[in-house]
Parts: sequence; structure tokens; C-alpha cells
Amino acid sequence: MEYKLRKAEPRDVPDILRLVKELAKYEEMEHQVTLTEKELLEDGFGDTPFYHCIITEIQGEKSSEDRKVVGFAMYYFTYDPWVGKQLYLEEFYVMDEYRGLGIGSGILRNLSNLAMKTRCTGMMFVVAENNEPSVQFYKRRGAEDLSQEEGWRLFRFDKDSLVKMAAPSEE
Amino acid sequence: MQWRRMPAAFKSQRRRRSWKETRLSSSAITTSSPHLRSMDFSIRAANLDDCKDIARMIMELAEYEKVSDHVKVTQKDLEQDGFSKNPFFHGIIAEVPEQHKTKEGHTKIGYALYFYSYSSWSGRAIYMEDLYVMPEFRGTGVGKALINKVAQLALAAGCHQLNFTVLDWNKPSMDFYLSQGCFDITASMGYHCMRCEGEALEHLAQL
Repeated sequence: MEYKLRKAEPRDVPDILRLVKELAKYEEMEHQVTLTEKELLEDGFGDTPFYHCIITEIQGEKSSEDRKVVGFAMYYFTYDPWVGKQLYLEEFYVMDEYRGLGIGSGILRNLSNLAMKTRCTGMMFVVAENNEPSVQFYKRRGAEDLSQEEGWRLFRFDKDSLVKMAAPSEE
Repeated sequence: MQWRRMPAAFKSQRRRRSWKETRLSSSAITTSSPHLRSMDFSIRAANLDDCKDIARMIMELAEYEKVSDHVKVTQKDLEQDGFSKNPFFHGIIAEVPEQHKTKEGHTKIGYALYFYSYSSWSGRAIYMEDLYVMPEFRGTGVGKALINKVAQLALAAGCHQLNFTVLDWNKPSMDFYLSQGCFDITASMGYHCMRCEGEALEHLAQL
């Protein structure tokens, strides 16, 4: 089966959202996806993109069939003031029925190359500790678990807390 | 307010122990300085000319933690990476008037570095990479004012969340942030921060 890895285009937005929801379902978090196609379009393909995306599509068995998007990765660039630019892998997913074909490795290879070309010193991402297959997938490839090894804890302020914090200080 | 520092990845256990020892011993520094309580300070967007002081404060922090050899980013890198056409980060600076400058003559006494990120579930987000206040200016509201500003910037840009990391032994900082209404995502969702760098990154690029 032939597959093609390419940069996402605006027309891919419905497929990107579909795959985001599929992955969320796999993590039993489907109800947490509030992102819309409109936001994905504006935020990824406007003047200052908040994210970039690469997708993997396969050709159907009959040449008349449409190509099908079966995997994607969403990433953006971050900054560590000690060592500089990093490539942050926000989302990475291959549909269940297309796994084991090297599509995932191909996506990671593409992104690692991009990281090196853009002078990033590392590629960063987050994995849920109970997602054993993913944890092993990344550790086999040399990823370090900074939460385990260095004690990094990820903290988040949601919208309501942001609004409270943004109010002028009473001090 | 206690500062929080997200370090670059370490390799050896020895360096981590050194981190922990220096950090715990500094908790006494953050008591309020009475003569500074009524101090004026201002918070503003960082510009190219601030890179010298930002680099200084990054190094101050690393030197205090005895890991200054880990800092590879230079003032020139900060200028290029933060103030070119496509910046990789943004900064805000806390400044005091001349009469409150440090004995070395510095008026820029705190900073925060942040960048825009994206959640595949909820969209636009902001990531606060660094928040630092020079020791003699802590307990005066500077840190709180810096994080307030980052929160304002997040909302103005349509962000739905502000993310950052705290080290697990930095209990005062963790307690402060939790009291301000944030969640520990590592605890509640089991999310671990991972990094592929150096040889591992090169190897991934060749698979």
C-alpha cells in the first residue's frame, strides 16, 4: 500500500478534526474536544499560524477512489531559554487499521528532520503514563521522561482561572 | 511570590541532587523586604535592548543553581529568536525606577518568557516558559504582576489555557499556583513531559 506524507492544506481541516476526535476517543476523552473546524482553519492557515500539520494519505485500491487521510501530526515551535528552539509535538495519530505499516515512524522521521533543519535542539511532547504502548514506543526511540527523571509537573490554568488572574491585582 | 524555573533536561542524578539542595535552601530568601513593599515597578513588553538583561537574569538563575554550564543560549540567540520576523518567544520585563536599582545598577529586575501554543482539544493556548524575579525584589508583588500580565495577554489572544511546568520539589511554587486556581495535569491526568534530543533526535531522523 502506498502512502504519501505531505503538509496539511485548508481542505484537510475536516479530516484533522476527525482524527483529533478519534484519538480523544481512544484516550476516553472525546467529550473534551471543543475545537471546531472554523477554529482549526483560522488558527492553522491564517497569517500567523498557531500550529502546523503534516498528514499521511493513502490511495484507495481502485484508482477512482478518493485518497484517504489515515494519520497526522500537529506540531509547533517552542523555546527553552537554556538550549533554544524546540519542536513540540502536540498530536500524533495513525488510524488503528493502518498501524504497523511504518506510517508512524515515517511521520517521526519527517518531524525529526524538520527539527534538525530548523536548528531545534530537541523534540518535546507529552504522553499519558497509563498509555503503555506509546510510552514504550517513545522510550525505545531514545525519549527521556522528564517528569519521571527530573520531576517536571505540567500545570494548567483554564479559561475561568485565567479571567480571575488577569483581573487587576488588589495588592 | 516564589519563582519557578523549568530547566533543560539533565542527564545525571548528581546534577539533580545539586539542584534540589540549592533550591530548598533558597526558600528563606523569599520573605518580604519591608523597604520594598511600597516600591514602584512597571511591567512592559520586552524589546531587543532587553536581551542583555534577560540573558543576564537567565544566567543569574543558572549560576545560583550551580548549573550555568547548561546555558547555551546567548544574548545574540535571544535577539535573533525573540525579535526577528517570526519570533519563537515573547517576553515581558519588570522594571524599577532609578532610585531602586540594584548595587550593580540594574533596573530590569524580573521577566517572563512565553509563547503561543495549541491544544488539539481546545485550540489556542499560551505557554509560560520562564518566570523570574531577582531575589532582593521578591515578596513585593512583582511575580504576581508578571503572571497577571501573561494571563491578560493570553485572554487578549483568544487563548483558552495557560500552561507551564513546576518541579515536583518546589512545593511553595506549586502551592501558590494551586491557590491561584490551576490544575496539576501530571497528577490528575498522568501526563508526563518527554524530550528527544541529541543523538536520539539524530537517530529518529534516520530511521
